[in-house]
Order: sequence, then structure tokens, then C-alpha cells
Amino acid sequence: MQVTSSLREPLITGGKTLKDVTHDVSRHVEGKPTLSWILALLTSVGVLGVGAIALAATLWEGIGMWGLNKTIGWAWDITNFVWWVGIGHAGTLISAVLLLFRQKWRMAINRAAEAMTIFAVICAALFPVIHMGRPWVGAYWALPLPNTFGSLWVNFNSPLLWDVFAISTYFSVSLVFWYIGLIPDFATIRDRATGLRKTIYGALSFGWDGAAKTWFRYEAVALILAGLATPLVLSVHTIVSFDFATSVIPGWHTTIFPPYFVAGAIFSGFAMVLTLMIITRKVFKLEDYITIGHIELMNIVIIITGSIVGIAYITEFFIAWYSGVAAEQYAFINRAFGPYWWAYWAMMTCNVISPQLFWFKKIRTSIVLTFILSIVVNIGMWFERFVIIVTSLHRDFLPSSWAMFSPTWADMGVYLFTFGLFFTLFLLFAKFFPVINMAEVKSIVKSSGEKVKK
Amino acid sequence: MGKQVIDINWDQKFDFAGTFKKPIMKVLVLGAILLVAGIVIEMMAGGHEEVAEAGDHAYHWYHRLFAAIWVNNIYFAGIAVIGVFFFALQYAAQAGWSAPILRIPLSFGNWLPYAAVITIVSYFIVGHDIFHWTHSYLYDVNDPQYDRIIDGKGGFFFWPMAKGSFPIFFIVRMVVFFAAWALFFNKLKQLSYAEDLEKSDSYWRRTRTVSAIFLVFFAVSSSVAAWDWIMSIDTHWFSTMFGWYMFASWFVAGLSAVTLITLFLKDKGYLEMVNSNHIHDLGKFMFAFSIFWTYIWFSQFLLIYYANIPEESVYFVERLQSELYGPLVFVNLGLNFILPFLVLMTRDAKRHGVFLKVVSVLIIVGHYIDYTLMVQPGTLREHGGLV
Amino acid sequence: MERDKHFVLGVYEDEDVLLDAVAQVRNSGVKIHEVYSPFPVHGLDEALGYKRSRLPIAAFLFGMLGTTLALTMQFYMMKFDWPMIIGGKDFAGFPNFVPVTFELTVLLAAFGMCGVFFVSSNLKPWGQPRIFDIRVTDDKHVMAIDLAANAKLDEQQIGEVLKATGASEVNKKNFD
Repeated sequence: MQVTSSLREPLITGGKTLKDVTHDVSRHVEGKPTLSWILALLTSVGVLGVGAIALAATLWEGIGMWGLNKTIGWAWDITNFVWWVGIGHAGTLISAVLLLFRQKWRMAINRAAEAMTIFAVICAALFPVIHMGRPWVGAYWALPLPNTFGSLWVNFNSPLLWDVFAISTYFSVSLVFWYIGLIPDFATIRDRATGLRKTIYGALSFGWDGAAKTWFRYEAVALILAGLATPLVLSVHTIVSFDFATSVIPGWHTTIFPPYFVAGAIFSGFAMVLTLMIITRKVFKLEDYITIGHIELMNIVIIITGSIVGIAYITEFFIAWYSGVAAEQYAFINRAFGPYWWAYWAMMTCNVISPQLFWFKKIRTSIVLTFILSIVVNIGMWFERFVIIVTSLHRDFLPSSWAMFSPTWADMGVYLFTFGLFFTLFLLFAKFFPVINMAEVKSIVKSSGEKVKK
Repeated sequence: MGKQVIDINWDQKFDFAGTFKKPIMKVLVLGAILLVAGIVIEMMAGGHEEVAEAGDHAYHWYHRLFAAIWVNNIYFAGIAVIGVFFFALQYAAQAGWSAPILRIPLSFGNWLPYAAVITIVSYFIVGHDIFHWTHSYLYDVNDPQYDRIIDGKGGFFFWPMAKGSFPIFFIVRMVVFFAAWALFFNKLKQLSYAEDLEKSDSYWRRTRTVSAIFLVFFAVSSSVAAWDWIMSIDTHWFSTMFGWYMFASWFVAGLSAVTLITLFLKDKGYLEMVNSNHIHDLGKFMFAFSIFWTYIWFSQFLLIYYANIPEESVYFVERLQSELYGPLVFVNLGLNFILPFLVLMTRDAKRHGVFLKVVSVLIIVGHYIDYTLMVQPGTLREHGGLV
Repeated sequence: MERDKHFVLGVYEDEDVLLDAVAQVRNSGVKIHEVYSPFPVHGLDEALGYKRSRLPIAAFLFGMLGTTLALTMQFYMMKFDWPMIIGGKDFAGFPNFVPVTFELTVLLAAFGMCGVFFVSSNLKPWGQPRIFDIRVTDDKHVMAIDLAANAKLDEQQIGEVLKATGASEVNKKNFD
């Protein structure tokens, strides 16, 4: 029995049938790469290559290649790290939290969003590893290995170590979540293919046969993974925020950081999902699956999380004044009116003011404006981390240690490297993997498709 | 599944008569007796000796009563506004599952006008003993008890009047918040009734718009209310998380109250549309937000514990290292996290009334203790406690 | 007739027809071998009479294992094996151990449960599925009925039962 309401918009337009879903998604995997895809891939690999020069220089010469100084010991690297991790929150949020809230619109976007999550976390994880200086000597020191490996135990009191556990758990659980969702779709491609492709997708599909019993277990697994991944996704950015908030640096030590970082992460993650999905739906002609309705809903999430972030900014500012702690008060005044005022106001404009434009239905249902604003939000969120990190550090406790930070070409190059990596991985994913979860979308063709609505 | 014909008695009305009135009256009388008994016991227990030595800050029996009144004000005003918040949230999110139960949280809003009057009136009676910052000597530079830090915050309470005089800004905020909450409640109630009577989507759309505006207002006002009504009791202390902490506490208590009343009415044969799936969803909400509250509690605690900055950690030192409040902190965590978490973990527990009723009661009591822990140490010091 | 070799297949186009069909077929005394679908059909597990999954129990047990391991490891390393004063805190500062404990609980619960899922559903990279009808990964639901398990009825009769419940096609499939 299908219950329909006049208030629910169809999630799939164009009167699609189950067969159409299979066809529309699989044909990109099966067809020859398009010219635009090849050009995009070449560009990404090019960016990766250029960035690799900076990375190689950093690894060869050492961290001295970066613009860090004694006062500002953390700058672009950790800004980029937090930025990428934040972006990596949307995928699991969409697939886990929206699953728990039974939001069916997640189904068209969760596959690509999760892929984006995984690639963003890879980019993020690179920064702490690079910052080790010579990671080949002992990146394994971050793991709790016994003393015979040449070190003491790792320090379980350190938030940096909590991060090691949080990021690796998040990465591996997200990967498994994503892969389990991919198995039925790989089976679909396997059953349409011949020759080598059949062998490869056959292996990837793990021998999936679509039996009701397996589907039933699959759904149980998805539900529990969602239940586990929801607190996990909150914990990751919480622990990232602990890196700063457990310290005694004014501007870093503030108790609102955990939920505020999580909200900011969702905010930037959705912005990146929008950026990528708007391109993907266009290039792959998936407008009937990723509809304006989807874009509008994501924009609403951006308004909500952007406003939460805005409230957190105001709270921090107010409490800094209210606390009566001079150092705390100075840190915030310095953010807004000190030498890095432009970073602060860039952050405020991009993160707090620009998402409020989405209150207008015209703007949040406009593809072009959404695309522009999604990039604006991502710029804003990068500046947020820059403001928190560099502005709080550059006025040290001792005025004689006050300093400014300016990035070197190596700083920028390594950042560029992660962009190249991210887009290369995403383009490979978009070509060789089904970008939409066919099985899940098929399950709502009847209840949320256009046919029942008309 | 086939076609199911759902036969519901749409005309069912809740009749607040004898069978319901009696137990409620009994509880009311019992409460009154306990109140009088409590006052008498407190008066007898004295605190007389200290009067002489401590002067102005002496502990009187009525301080205890005042602290209790304040805890009640804030706690129940919170549950009332959370009812409206939950209702608005469901509309804003276009939720369909909650339609049969939405009138229950909405009805909580009926308490808001009373909560407003009681809170505002009682502020004038108990405020001076609850809020340290109301003492005018704190702002007098020549007074030996002058407090530079509180003087710095004075504008937040007294602006535009002179510090230490009449806290006009504080009072205005209190009045505005309560008035706005009550007005939003009335508007939503009207729209909700109209939506039932006139079968048109336009009411749903208008409710959604009003809900969205209310949510924005509530997002700001709940945080500021938390700073005003609770955080400023420990006047020196501050925590950026506090607004969200108090919201989490209110929210989970409100959810438990919704669940408890739903189950109660269901037992009495009302709410035919509500089936075990609705109950399950309420259970999931309680489970999830118990964890959320714990997350907020723990994050705030861990950061303060870890950084160990004296002006912040004093808040937890006062609580954890006190014989009176130390055990209560663990009771708080036990009732609001460990028990709900363990009991509601299985699917069956979230679908069966018995477990849910027990857990709702635990949470409602637990968060009362939570509020007691927020209010008492700053007002009663070593004279607090639950009994 | 040998078991698990000869099947009658009912092909269904619509999930709601399928759900009714499963109930009717079972009521008429025909044993269903399995139903294959391109997507998860809600209520199909109940219609087929599957018991509730025990995967949540697996997840819980693995989670508890994770909690235990994490706490044991941290207390052993930080309190007993090589205690060090860090940040003026107690050697065994329990609040500091919470994040890692949480992460390892989730990690083991998720991986343990997924491992159990892969093993119990026989999913592995070298797995060779038995395909009744290639369209079940595309747009058709297929109900497979083992002839050997329904010895009382012949192929013809089962086919009629399936047709009567709304199957758009009835096919036969033999495995050797």
C-alpha cells in the first residue's frame, strides 16, 4: 500500500522505470570515456603532478620548506587537514544519519558523497603524515607498538593520538559501509557485461545473487552500520577539535568546539557534495535522479549548519567578553580587527552571511547560484580553520615572539597536490563505479517516482 | 501488504474528568504536604549559628526553597518550550511519522504563560539569593567586596542602567523570550487546529514557515536563556558550551515527557493511530538524545578537566570534590546515560511500553537532578543536596 | 528428483504483487526456495517467514570486545607498564581514555559484524553466484521453487499457482 501526500515532491522525475535506472547509471561505466572526462582527468593528473614537485621538495628538504616559524608551528598543513576532514563528513552523514531519519532523498546522492568522503579523508590523512618530516622512518610510531620498536608506548593522553584512532576508524568504517552498498550494483554491472569486465566486476560483486535472505541481512547491516557511524562521524570532528580545545591557547580552548566543529564539518561537506553533484548530474545526465528537490534539501542543510556555526561564532565572541579573561578577549578582538582581519571577515561573509541567501527559494533552487555559493562556503570554511589556527597562534604569550605567517610555494604546492589527488580519485570513481546507488533508488521508484504522483 | 482499511475514531476526545482529575489532585495535595514538611524540617534544622559569623551570606532555610523554586521554574519552562520546539521541528523537517502524536508536545506549550509569570515574579522574590551578581557592592570600586570580573560582566545584566541597580537588560530578555515563545506557541496552535478543520495544504505550509522562524528564534534564545538563568548563577564561571548543554538537557527531558504521556494516553485507550512503530521512534529519539546529552556533557567536562585552567575547573571541583554533590554527578550520569543506554539498546525495549515508561521516568528525574546540580552548588554551597 | 537442481521460477514485475504472491504461495502449501530481487523489498523477510537477524548481537559482542581491549590496553600501557606523568594528571586518567575506547568499540563492532555478514551470506571475491535469472539484478523479482521440495505438485501445477498470484512469466531452470 502506497500512501502518498500532496506535499511530497517526487524524488525521481522523468517517469523512470527500474530498467531505466539500471541503464542510466550503468552506461557510464560501460561506455567509452567521454572527451570531457579525459580532459578533466588529464587536468587533475596535471595538478597532481605539479603538486608532487612541492611534495617531493618538502620530503627531500624537510618541513623547513614550509612557511612555519617558531611561533606559528601549525599553519597551512593543519588548516588543510581539518578542512579535508570536515569535507569528509558529508558522505557518512548522508548515508548514516539520513538513513536513521529515513530520508529517502539520500539515496540518489549517498554513493558519490561517500566516495567523496573517503577521498577527502585520504587527502586529510596525508598532512599529518607529511608533517612527520620523514614518514618512512617511522610513521608506525603512531601505533601502540611495544618498546622494542625503539620508542615508548604512544601517549594515550594526547588528542593527536586520539586523532590517529578516530581518523583510521572513520576511514575504514566508511570504506566498508561504502563497499557493502556497492556490492549489489557491481552485480548489476556484472550481469550486463561480458569478457574481462565480467570477471572484474564479478570479483568486485563478491558473488552477490540478490537473494531475499541476503538482502535482509544487508539491510540489518546497513542499519547497524548507520547506528555506529552516526556517533562515529560526530566523534571524528570532535576529536579533531580536541587537538585545539584541550590546549590552553586563547581562541583554541573553548568548550563549544566539539559540536561547533561537527556542524562546520557538515556544512563544508554538504557544500563540497553540492559542488561535485552539480557537475556530475550535468555531465552524466542524471538530472532525473539528482533533482532540483535534492539540491534544495542540501541547501537547507547548509542554511541550518551555517546558522549553527554562526551562533557558535557569536557565542565564542560573547563568552570571550563575558569571561573577563584578558587574553581571551584580546584573542577575539585580534581576530576581527588584528592583522588577519581580512581572513576573519572572509570567514564571516562566506560562512555566516552567504548561506542565509538560501532562505530565498529562488536562490536555493537555482543551479548556478547554488554552485557558486557552494564554492564560497568551502572557501569560507578554509578561512575558518586558518583564522582559528594561525590567528590564535601568531600573537604568542610573549610579545617578543609575535610573528606573521606567510605560505611558501611548497605550502601551496602540497595543498595543490591534495586537490589533484582528490579530483583524480573522484574522476576514476565516477567513470568505473556506479555513481548512483541503483539498488536503493530502485526501491523508491514506485513510492517516490513521478508515475504514482501523476 | 494489500489494501488496509484503517478505521479510526476521529471524534475521540480527551475527557479530563473524575478518573484523571482525582490522581492529579492527589499528587498535588501530596506535593503541598511535602513542601510544607520540607520547609518545617529545614527551619528546624536551622543554620542559626552561622548567621552571626557569616553576616550577609548566611544560610537561611528559605534559600533552599528558593533554589528549588528556581530549578522548577527553569526545568518545567524548558520542557514546555521543548514541546513547541519538537512540534516545530517536525513541521520544518516535513516529518510524517509524528503526525498522530504532535498535539502532545504542542500541548506542553500551554504551560508557557504560567511559566513566564512564575519565573518573572519569582525572580523578584528569589533572584537576590540565587544570583550573586545582583549584589550592588560587587560593582562599587570602593567596597572591599568589589569584584573586578563581575564588574566587567555587569553590562550584560544591567545595561543601560548603572551596574548594581536594576537589571533591566536581564529582565527584558526574560520577558521577551517568554513572550515570544508563548506567542509562537499560540500561532502554531491556531494553525494546527485550522489545518485539521479546513482540509487545505496551505495551513501546513504556513505552519512550516512559522516553525522555521520559531526555530531560528529558539536557537538564539535558548542559548542566551541558559547563560542568563543558569550559567550566571556561578557568576565567575563561563563555558561556551553551556547554552547547548542546557538545550540538550531540556530536549531529552522533553522527549521523555512526550513519550511518557503518549504511553499513558495509549494505555487509557486514546490515540488509536499510534502503533508500536511510533513508540519505537520515540524510543529511538530518547536513546539517541540521551547519548547526545552525554556527548555534550563529556565534551564540556573533558576540555575543562584536560586544560585545567583554575577559573574553569572550579566548576567541576565544586561538584566532584564535594561529599554532597560528588555522588550526585555519578547519579546524574547513571540515570541519564548508562541506564537509558543499556535499557534502550535492544529493539524490543524501544517498542514495549514498560521499558520506555521506566526509562522516561528515570530521565525526567535524572535531568531534574542535572538542574539541581547546575543550581545548588552556586547558591546553597554545602547546604544543598537532594534530601 | 534431486534436491536443489530443478526449479520453477515465477517472474514478478512489481514488489507489492510479489509480497502478496509470497503470502498466497506459502498459504497454498508450496515451499519457496528463495526470492531474488534487484533491491531490498520491505516486508519480504516477514512474508517469507525469516527470523529476526542476529547480526545486532554479533555487533554488540564485537563492540564489547573492542571496549575491553581498548581499556585493557590503555590501562596496561599507561598505568602499569610505563607510567609517566603527563599534564599533571593521574597515570590512569580515565576521561582521557574515553575517545580511543569509543573508537575501538566502533571499529571492532563494525568490522566484526561485517565479517559475520560476509561469511554468513557467503560473499567473497571468488564467489560464483548461482544465477536463476539474469534480470534479478536489473528489474525483475524472481521466486524460485524447488521441485524436489514440493514433491506433491508437478511443474505444471506449481506454474499455475504462480500464474494465479500474478507472475508475468513462469520459467524452468535446471542446474547440473
